[in-house]
Amino acid sequence: MSIFILIGILIVSLIIVIKAADIFVDNLVEVGALLGISQIILGVTAAAIGTSLPEFGSAVIASLSGSVDIGVGTVIGSNIWNIAGILGISAIVAGVIKSDVKGINRDGAITLATAVILIFFMFLGDIGKIAAIVMIAVYVIYLRTLIKAQKEEAKSDKKEVEEKFGLKEDIGEKSGSKLKSIRPKNIIGILIGFAGLVVGCRLLVYSGVGIGEIYNIPEIIMGLFVLAIGTSIPELVVTLSSAMKGLHDLSIGTVLGSNTFNILIGIGVPALILNVPVDPISLYFDAPVMIFVTVLVLLLIKKDMKLTRLNGLILLATYIAYAAIRLFVLG
Amino acid sequence: MYEKILVTSTGEYLNEVIEHTLDLIHGRPMEVIGLYVADTSAPFLTPSKVKQMMVKELDEKGREVLKNMEQKFQKSNANVKFMPMLVEGDPAEKIVKIAEKENTDVIIMGTGKSKIDKHLLGSVSEKVVHSAPCTILLIRSKHKPLEQIE
Repeated sequence: MSIFILIGILIVSLIIVIKAADIFVDNLVEVGALLGISQIILGVTAAAIGTSLPEFGSAVIASLSGSVDIGVGTVIGSNIWNIAGILGISAIVAGVIKSDVKGINRDGAITLATAVILIFFMFLGDIGKIAAIVMIAVYVIYLRTLIKAQKEEAKSDKKEVEEKFGLKEDIGEKSGSKLKSIRPKNIIGILIGFAGLVVGCRLLVYSGVGIGEIYNIPEIIMGLFVLAIGTSIPELVVTLSSAMKGLHDLSIGTVLGSNTFNILIGIGVPALILNVPVDPISLYFDAPVMIFVTVLVLLLIKKDMKLTRLNGLILLATYIAYAAIRLFVLG
Repeated sequence: MYEKILVTSTGEYLNEVIEHTLDLIHGRPMEVIGLYVADTSAPFLTPSKVKQMMVKELDEKGREVLKNMEQKFQKSNANVKFMPMLVEGDPAEKIVKIAEKENTDVIIMGTGKSKIDKHLLGSVSEKVVHSAPCTILLIRSKHKPLEQIE
């Protein structure tokens, strides 16, 4: 197949995957609300998986279709790009991205811990079922911590409103005590979203592998760079636009939350289905770089609880150096 | 000369904007419209649930800024009749439209972005200057835009 057709498929499939993920999450949240699940749980989960479904879908589909390297590459590559590339670009454009101690301690610590967990299991050999169970369990614990923190915040907001206005307002904890019947529209939406994700990810992996074969590029490189950057478009638009609007928590939170999800679920779930082999260069170079950029961004933020334009340049330069070494030196 | 003032801020330069507005009012009775425009536009491919979160966050931030504005005006000048206004849309466009609709005598807002910031982020004040229906008082801030967000 011609390279132009493959590039066309890659672009179209990326748009399908991102839009399908959006439709899927939207309808899933609506069904959840109709079933009486708390808005807090739905909100936290939707935000966490909303931007990461494309990476997750690509990793699962790639693994199931025999291109495991492309799956692992997409996850690790996305995590390096999210921090060094996306946060770097956002800090350069916005000038500054602020952070708060509580958020950075919780989300930063789990992001770093997640990267260490991955490298630990990589050292032990192929990532198998035990590693998968541990990763998924850690994610469930993290999600519970997030929900608990959100509930406490909603409670203090509610108290503030009651004290100020004497109103009894039900903020955030609307649990939909009145169960409504699920609308067919939502079920169709979930099915369309899911089908779009499966078809889109399959096409994405197919075009990625195809382009790689034409130019003799290893699958892991296609995953680390092409698919990783492509599937991270939602993170890029969310992080950049929230940084420009001064929504700093959302900006840094999106990247850290996405990185945690990418590893624990993006590698955890495929590893539950089949053994995920470990590429030696990934173990000794890509994964350590992922830990390095995570530590780097946390150190840069911790200094003044913000990322400056200079910090953004440092992060982006780190990404360019990583890409140059990985592509031209290690191959 | 001035009876109705439109003061607008997204939290940037807020202290200086209020300081200058109070100086302009000089203790006289004055109607002050405090305007916060939440720029809720989001790029293509932004997940809709995340967009909803952005709108909610901007809305909360806007309420905080307006509450802060109201407290500062009422504390410093009892003659100020303050009217908070929170709207969604393109900031420059909304500021001009509301100034027209409310027939304000002067728009007061901050300015002070560096050349790099102006290129990368754009400048609301520059856009307002070109199409404002009334006098504009631009407060030149010595602080960086994001330093003053409270």
